Amino acid sequence: MSIWAALAGGFIGTLVLTTALRAANALNLTRIDLPFLLGTAFTSDRTRAKALGYGVHFVNGLLFAMLYYAVFVAVGYSSWWLGTVFGLVHGLFAATALVNILLPLVHPRMGAPHTSAPHVALLEPPGFLMLNYGPRTPTVTLAAHLVYGTIVGLFLAWPG
Amino acid sequence: MDGYAELRDYAVIGDGRSVALIARDGSVDWLAWPDLDSPTLFAAVLDRAHGGRFLLRPRVPYTAARRYLPGTNVLETTFTTAGGTVRLTDALSLHDAASLAPGRELVRRIEGLAGSVPMRWSVQPRFGYGARTPHLARRAGVPVATCGPDAVGVCAWNAGQPQCTADAITGQFRTDTGTHALIAVPYAHQEPLVLPTRAECEARLEHTTATWRKWTQERTYTGPWREAVLRSALALKLLVFAPSGAVAAAATCSLPESIGGERNWDYRFSWIRDSAFTLDAFLKLGCAPEATGYFWWLMHASQLTHPRLHVLYRLDGGARAPERALPLPGYRGSAPVRVGNAAADQLQLDTYGEMLQTAWLYTTAGHRLDADIARRLAETADFICAIWQQPDAGIWEVRSDPEHFTQSKMMCWITLDRALDLARQQLIPGRHAARWRRERLAIADFVDDRCFSPRLNSYVRYADSGDLDASLLLGLLHGYRPPDDPRMRGTLAAIQQTLQDGPFVNRYLGSDGVPGSEGAFLACSFWLAEALARCGRADEAGRLMDQLVALASDVGLYSEEIEPATGTFLGNLPQGLSHLALISAACAIGQATR
Repeated sequence: MSIWAALAGGFIGTLVLTTALRAANALNLTRIDLPFLLGTAFTSDRTRAKALGYGVHFVNGLLFAMLYYAVFVAVGYSSWWLGTVFGLVHGLFAATALVNILLPLVHPRMGAPHTSAPHVALLEPPGFLMLNYGPRTPTVTLAAHLVYGTIVGLFLAWPG
Repeated sequence: MDGYAELRDYAVIGDGRSVALIARDGSVDWLAWPDLDSPTLFAAVLDRAHGGRFLLRPRVPYTAARRYLPGTNVLETTFTTAGGTVRLTDALSLHDAASLAPGRELVRRIEGLAGSVPMRWSVQPRFGYGARTPHLARRAGVPVATCGPDAVGVCAWNAGQPQCTADAITGQFRTDTGTHALIAVPYAHQEPLVLPTRAECEARLEHTTATWRKWTQERTYTGPWREAVLRSALALKLLVFAPSGAVAAAATCSLPESIGGERNWDYRFSWIRDSAFTLDAFLKLGCAPEATGYFWWLMHASQLTHPRLHVLYRLDGGARAPERALPLPGYRGSAPVRVGNAAADQLQLDTYGEMLQTAWLYTTAGHRLDADIARRLAETADFICAIWQQPDAGIWEVRSDPEHFTQSKMMCWITLDRALDLARQQLIPGRHAARWRRERLAIADFVDDRCFSPRLNSYVRYADSGDLDASLLLGLLHGYRPPDDPRMRGTLAAIQQTLQDGPFVNRYLGSDGVPGSEGAFLACSFWLAEALARCGRADEAGRLMDQLVALASDVGLYSEEIEPATGTFLGNLPQGLSHLALISAACAIGQATR
């Protein structure tokens, strides 16, 4: 268990999570696009936003992996299944608080329940469990985060 | 009469999230909170007895005159009685960052202008389309009505002592020259209720007026019928759902297309059909944020159903809109009262043309399309190549058997034509351009072989029929054929001869699978005016436009339809398509006469 393992796990985990969400997007299962949501916080140029958002999302993925690492060190134990549990908590946090409540508060282009005339949102608010982006969004997001957590847990539990 | 106000007598106020209808007698008869498409708090327009409302008017006989404060969506009603005059100012307040504001707030200011006028008011909250009677109690001395996750308070200053009865909060007071009273109705949904102070409410009302005025001053329109165009812009802005950028077709549900009839639909959704007009109007009025917000919403909302388009989407971008009937008597007995809209699942081929036209307009304003959207637009063109030969429900959403509607085919042609142009500019992938070109030609052959009547010298409603349809004008307006095309000119003449009656234009005269009749469809009248202007008949278009502008209500609003014989408003209001068509026609006539 090391910081490098956490960073490697975070990188691979984020890669898989982002790809999984993108695949779900392409299959019309959900309209959520986390890199796009993050990137548009900085620019209204859609193409630049997606590129920028991918970068921000990977940084977030690495930071969350470091958080996993810190907790694993604190409890003195690491395993893939504990990573899965963390992924579950992480996914629920993302769906209920991070993207649903916190992001609209700081995102200059995202609508919120209190957005009113004359302003107009460029991005619709995610809604509870991000259901505004499609009824399958919570399931897809949670599954992607479970995979992320499992991957980070695997890297941190890797002997060596 | 029967306790119901004329639909023409309703003015609207809003805050970009919800809309209230206020009758000439000062009664708020429609208010859906927290959002425009939420169940109602007040719905007396659909059920006079139990729908709920906020009544505020003199206790003695009066006459009422109304206007919007110039450049705003703040309504001013002046009641004149034998004993004096009183002014009522109504607004759904806009958020003022300086203070902690309620989630939503209705503010009503009452000023004594002259003499002495006895007033009475009554707030009858009925949550959930009148189905749920609230629990009334006092919190910090303020009457509060609660029901599940919703709560409204009634804060009154100098407006008499509020009394709580079994199902209403009421009060009486007297205005004298120079006196000011204020009643605020703060609302909370899934959060604690914020009880505002009078100073905060007054400040928010001023802020609301100034904000609307500033927004109007930023509009760039300088053409003819400027007052009507700006009022239409303000009405349209009320239909913009600010949290998502969607634009609702209208603010109400189930206001009837014929009194006592069953053509009562829920219009609190965003129709793809209106998208090109919507974006075009935003661009012409200098509403760049609204245009971008709407286009982004459109592309997001349609993503889940891609490549198939739904006829309409919810304001939050959802695709499901199940239709059901409410146990309400309806406006003047016009039942059923429907919420949701079953048209959502219909096949309407014209929507694809509207979407490509919208994207095309968006790019002509200098915007770029990102790779994902460009790919989806190209796939939409591919999809049309595969399905254009199917019969559909058409732009008017008929509930009879599907037909090969001519306007639908014309818009399929527009789909491929715009896709080819976007591909030519390298804005979307053009790998399948040869197929698009081939199918575009096939569509034109179909329309000109099967959908044109040499006897009428006109395109017809659907293939092999002998009926006319005012939507054929859209073929001209969107550029299926140029204005000097003989067949288009013949169609224009035939529509004038068959469907026009003075300033009124019927949509069609044939059947549509729904019993009963309807009034004249206002958007069609404006389309006709625009078509005349484009065909070089600007004077005739201008005269028609003058007549149509005069048909607006006293505060400049339009519903969906008008009963030609009486001028009675019919259908939901304010109707976005009517106002969009007005803006488009005024711009076209202005351009033609320049």
